[in-house]
Amino acid sequence: MKSATTAPPAQAGGASFQPPDPRGPDRKLGRFLVVPGILLSIGLLVAYPVFFLVVESFNLGDSGVFPPQEIGIGNYIGMIEDAKVLWNTAFVAGISTIMAVGIGLLLAWILTRTAIPGRQRLERLMELPYYMTPLVGALAWGVLASPKTGLLNQVGRAFGATGDILNIYSPWGIAWVMALFEGTVAFVMISAAMKSMDPSMEESARVLGAGKFRVALTVTLPMILPGILSATVFVFAEMLSAFAAAFVLGIPARFVVVTTAIWQSTTAYPPEYGRAAAMGLCLFVVLAGAIGLSRFILRNGSYATITGKAFRPRPLRLGRRAWPMVTVCWVYLTLSVFLPIGALLLTSFQKFATVIVGDMIFTTDNYAAVLHQGTVATALKNSLFLGVIVATIGSLLVGVLVWIIFRSRAPGRGLVEYVVMFPQAVPRLVFGLGLLWAWLIIPIPIYGTLWVLGLAYLTVLLPLGVRTLAGVVLQIDKSLEECARVCGASWAHQMRTVTLPLMRPGIVAAWLLIFISAVRELGASIFLMGPHSKVIGPAIVDAWITASTELSAAMALVQTAAVFIAVIFLFRVTRRYSGEPA
Amino acid sequence: MSAPDNRIEITNLVVDYGEVRAVDDVSLAVGRGELVTLLGPSGCGKTTTLRAVAGLEDPTGGSIKLNGVAVFSAADRRNTPAEKRGVSMVFQSYAIWPHMTVFENVAYGLRVRKMSNADIASNVARVLDLVQMSEYADRPSSKLSGGQQQRVAVARAIAFSPDVLLFDEPLSNLDAKLRVSMRVELRELQKRLGITALYVTHDQEEALAISDRVIVMNAGKIEQIGTPEEIYRHPRSLFVADFVGNANIFPGQANFGRGADGTIAFTTADGTHLRAISPDPARATGTNVAIQAAYVDILPTSRTDAPNATQGKIHRRMFHGDFIQYVIDWPAGQIIVRRPPTDIFDEGADVTISFAPEHCVLL
Repeated sequence: MKSATTAPPAQAGGASFQPPDPRGPDRKLGRFLVVPGILLSIGLLVAYPVFFLVVESFNLGDSGVFPPQEIGIGNYIGMIEDAKVLWNTAFVAGISTIMAVGIGLLLAWILTRTAIPGRQRLERLMELPYYMTPLVGALAWGVLASPKTGLLNQVGRAFGATGDILNIYSPWGIAWVMALFEGTVAFVMISAAMKSMDPSMEESARVLGAGKFRVALTVTLPMILPGILSATVFVFAEMLSAFAAAFVLGIPARFVVVTTAIWQSTTAYPPEYGRAAAMGLCLFVVLAGAIGLSRFILRNGSYATITGKAFRPRPLRLGRRAWPMVTVCWVYLTLSVFLPIGALLLTSFQKFATVIVGDMIFTTDNYAAVLHQGTVATALKNSLFLGVIVATIGSLLVGVLVWIIFRSRAPGRGLVEYVVMFPQAVPRLVFGLGLLWAWLIIPIPIYGTLWVLGLAYLTVLLPLGVRTLAGVVLQIDKSLEECARVCGASWAHQMRTVTLPLMRPGIVAAWLLIFISAVRELGASIFLMGPHSKVIGPAIVDAWITASTELSAAMALVQTAAVFIAVIFLFRVTRRYSGEPA
Repeated sequence: MSAPDNRIEITNLVVDYGEVRAVDDVSLAVGRGELVTLLGPSGCGKTTTLRAVAGLEDPTGGSIKLNGVAVFSAADRRNTPAEKRGVSMVFQSYAIWPHMTVFENVAYGLRVRKMSNADIASNVARVLDLVQMSEYADRPSSKLSGGQQQRVAVARAIAFSPDVLLFDEPLSNLDAKLRVSMRVELRELQKRLGITALYVTHDQEEALAISDRVIVMNAGKIEQIGTPEEIYRHPRSLFVADFVGNANIFPGQANFGRGADGTIAFTTADGTHLRAISPDPARATGTNVAIQAAYVDILPTSRTDAPNATQGKIHRRMFHGDFIQYVIDWPAGQIIVRRPPTDIFDEGADVTISFAPEHCVLL
């Protein structure tokens, strides 16, 4: 759009001279085709569902009719009656944020500031909880700590405890599970802040006579505080829009938060779409505001990240005291990865989940069901198929987008970045909700097909891909490309011999991350899945509601296995790349 | 219009970055086999000018000719893409491609030119030998030190025998010792191969040492063009005097015209009378004089007959190894003087300072 206004004077006037661009076809194409095309298509993909959401939130009449017959703000006023839900949401998000940031801070300090054995490998392993997905985590912790049947509770009773030690179906249980899996996000953000601090800042304070404690208080803390605050706000926003744990662990306890209330509204009879839309929009506004705030804090409050250079501060030598630190890391990994996977494994091979050895009846029926039983096997196949297709189209698209945004001089490229990154401010669940009507009402018969899911995945996963690849592309010195041109290479030759080879690790990483995210997608899928387009995430939820814990455990494990295989490739790719100096 | 021997000819070049005019009406020419330096502080437009010659910037106005052929001309709407200009460039960051070996880096320009494999091998071997990097040919280039990357960058730039070689601050990322020895090597290589070069640097010592001619730039404009000696001895503006060498600058008035010997009487602000010369034969007025620290003599107080002899007192002595730097109090304030390490005077000593009128330049 911006390009449309700048182009005509140069064309029509003739007086203002525009020399042809020596850098390749980006400018000419960007001006007339590519940039407006991208803005239009991605803008539509994002704006169209959001538009329906807005309209629907004001609809007081029959929700199936468009345009609405009755308009009003009744749906928003109705939210006052849902004060309990809002309070629940704030409560759970609040405690889980505190726990997650606590975990993140502790791990970040241990892994960036202390010299513990196996530090590098541990740092890598800390990414694992992120790939576990909250749904799998919630199911596993349901198996571990549900009242009566929970494995930990059974163990407790075997050792003579009366009643249950733990009840995961509670606000604290939900917060615990969310904190376990969001803790690694907090860890990544906070350790980035810690690594970006020049150690000479602390050293100079020491030299000037300040003690360790004083340095920590007057130099270290102020420097990393913006990073911690930013992480806190970001994690809080994620908690507010989290669905899986609140759904799996909250619904049985009749403990409802905003996201599960939205889901309930749409599945109620008659469906209260207006209420769902109003809540969804409010959630979207809060999330967008929080992400904005988080970035603002990081950009304006931070002294440390100005150079963008990574430092390796001299780690604290702990000697014997290193072992408690190592233990903390392994305990975290155990609680978030090994114990849940172990519990799911044990459950998935049994007819009825138990830890009482005598009662165990082992079976592979659950896996047979996952791999062969009609709907379940189809859901798995669909998810893998969508993952491959979306990752392939997505990573190619991301390559083009990143190149336009960060390397071309096409007018409007800033706007492209904004539009592409916009979906990350929309909660998945809310986005799925918007798409639900958008495609229900539009006369193109793609609702209930894999096409809708594919489009939705592509839209919500583009920001992830762009962020991944942008990190790689921004490290490619521009003169590497310019040098190829000066050496006599045409634009196409330069792209083929220099730019693309240097971008390749980033594109592969983007492919894998999009694949992983597509296979584990739940929020957007749950509204868009049709009877003939089942995918694994919502199918696990279905199995958990309607069938057995044992079957859903097997499904969750198969999903996790698919994700972890991709993670192994991802680790290999990123390690090979980071081994190369930029 | 253009002399046939000019390899690079820039006329009235203008480059705008949005509202900012980075290069403002710059005209210059570089002859065959000549090394010309663009010297100036950061942001003076020197790198932008160089990149415009390479075809990496889009100028707003003027023209650029290479070998007499216009590669950019605002009037004719001509802008030859970088890859068709036949120039080569050494980048400040070296721009060594990390995903290729040393050999592949150097061979790149030859492969683009579709040379046979045998020719490529012999050419790469030749230039790697020139920069003493032969044994590194099969190394992955990501494993090279800064100095080695620099050599590979130079080898790559000269491998396809370009008409013109552009250097964008090629030595600024090297440490001081290596920088000085690479400077000698570069000059040696350029002379031996008869390369025509345009060289950008902000280091005045490097510019003076390496160049046939120096072009001093400031705020997008050319301040002065001349041989290193001319620029050093006879700066034509306050900016050049201040930027090149280590000149003392004293404000005052020259209002008595030219004397019989061609020198001009100058009175500093405090009333000290000096004999000066003007670098511009047509001009005998000015409000400053510039005196390079190296041109000032320190003599015993008895020597009042020396040119521009003035009484002073040594305020501070600093030993630099290659020279001694004195700060001397004299009537016009303080003057910085550099003497060979053999000329030793004590701090607090009364002395006579003296400098020839031709080293006291009216600005």
